[in-house]
Amino acid sequence: MLASLLLSVGIITLISVVLSLMMVVADATIGNYGIVNVTVNKETQFEVEGGQSLLKTLMSEGIFIPSACGGRGSCGLCKVTVLEGAGAYLPTELPWIDKEEQKQNIRLSCQVKVKNDIEIEIPEELFLVKEFSTTVESIKDLTYDIKEVRLKLHDPPEIEMKAGQFVQFEVPEYELTDEPVYRAYSMASVPSDTQHVELMIRLVPNGICTTYVHEHLKEGEQVTINGPYGDFFLRDTDRPIICIAGGSGMAPIKSILLDMAEKGSKRKARYFFGARTRKDLFYVEEMGALEERLHDYKFIPALSEPQEEDNWEGEVGLITDVVHRLTEDASGSEAYLCGSPGMIDACIAVLKDLGMPEEHIYFDKFS
Amino acid sequence: MKQSPEYDHIQQQMQPGVITLPGFLGHDKRNLIDILIEDEGTVLRADTSHQKIAERMQYFRDAGVDGLGEFITLDDTFDVRVDSVRGKLPSPFGGPGMFDKVNTTVVNKKLDKEITFTDLHIHFVRDHGFYEGKGSPFRLEPLDLIHILQVETA
Repeated sequence: MLASLLLSVGIITLISVVLSLMMVVADATIGNYGIVNVTVNKETQFEVEGGQSLLKTLMSEGIFIPSACGGRGSCGLCKVTVLEGAGAYLPTELPWIDKEEQKQNIRLSCQVKVKNDIEIEIPEELFLVKEFSTTVESIKDLTYDIKEVRLKLHDPPEIEMKAGQFVQFEVPEYELTDEPVYRAYSMASVPSDTQHVELMIRLVPNGICTTYVHEHLKEGEQVTINGPYGDFFLRDTDRPIICIAGGSGMAPIKSILLDMAEKGSKRKARYFFGARTRKDLFYVEEMGALEERLHDYKFIPALSEPQEEDNWEGEVGLITDVVHRLTEDASGSEAYLCGSPGMIDACIAVLKDLGMPEEHIYFDKFS
Repeated sequence: MKQSPEYDHIQQQMQPGVITLPGFLGHDKRNLIDILIEDEGTVLRADTSHQKIAERMQYFRDAGVDGLGEFITLDDTFDVRVDSVRGKLPSPFGGPGMFDKVNTTVVNKKLDKEITFTDLHIHFVRDHGFYEGKGSPFRLEPLDLIHILQVETA
């Protein structure tokens, strides 16, 4: 009885090993797809060696699709329309692609493998996305866990961006990763300074990119970024704006407000910035000083748990409570929010309660 | 100890580069079932359960959301921050859906110790008694969780 059981286990194991070996051999031989044609927006066509993901294939041709997870299928950002040649949807795509998007042939480009001729459509603005080689000009501690990294662009030497957009930062191989990975960060710099990009990066315990930036990155080092990406930017209207941020969510809001100041914007603006204690606050003077440069602007930092030693005389409470307390009517305004999903959701609820239509609320959610 | 083909498949999903770059097992070369059994023993010897640990993790996670991404004081003893990074992850055990990359950091001010866990960790502990393999960058030591979070023991 025992002998026959062991024999059965042995046979099953042997079959599994043989099948695994066949898959490895098949991948190395049948998986050689040769040269395939990629057509983008009916106009651009190029030949590539098949077998890579669509995301990496496009990247190798200088076309950068936004992705915050480096192509692991965990951020859902790298969507493109594939008109032909992608095959059936993979289970790894479906959590990110709803039924409506499936009807429009939207695919997750990091999961689609280029095996044969393929035709895709991407937004025209993605052709403006470039890869930049840069040098770290300075690294500054904004708080105990947020660093500001200022990059000087070299090749190409200038970036054309809208205030509020983000770039992808390439983390090279180091102790936490044996291959380059990409992470997305909003730019804090003003668009007119085309030769620099500033990022604000908060340490995430054991995070691959944030650990690299906080513990390994040094001034003078080379860094590769690509961008700009994103549709979080100031809309061209006359509505008063309400900006709300916390922590590293300061970055895109700072960029937007500095850009408004440079352009002589006359729009009314209120900037609510939430922190727990004084040691979590930064750029208070700089953001406050904009009151001199903007027509009708107020910076309202608020502490949720001020300490005695903070000697804080400003607003106290969660930022949502402060917004609610200091805003009478938001029905004619629009809002720009940047922070954690919990913070964004709470802010949206408050703004709607203050009469703001949801379609006038723009946000950069860290999710 | 021998493990089932289902666990073999799950262990494969936990390898580096499958779901996450570093995977979930670190340098732990044991069978998944052995990792689970050892951690279960640790938890039982501490007179508690995976369920109680997960409930405590969930308590901090839910309460910390009120800080809107910043630390808040909880029960005088704890500082808690619930923060997110971009992205979602599936469980290597399969189901239930995708997990936002939500990090909960709990600082026990009396012990002067802190621990960070994700929503995926809460699922791991509650549904599978899994704390990740030794050497995994996101491994949670059960005893650290029990002490820092002050998990109820019998």
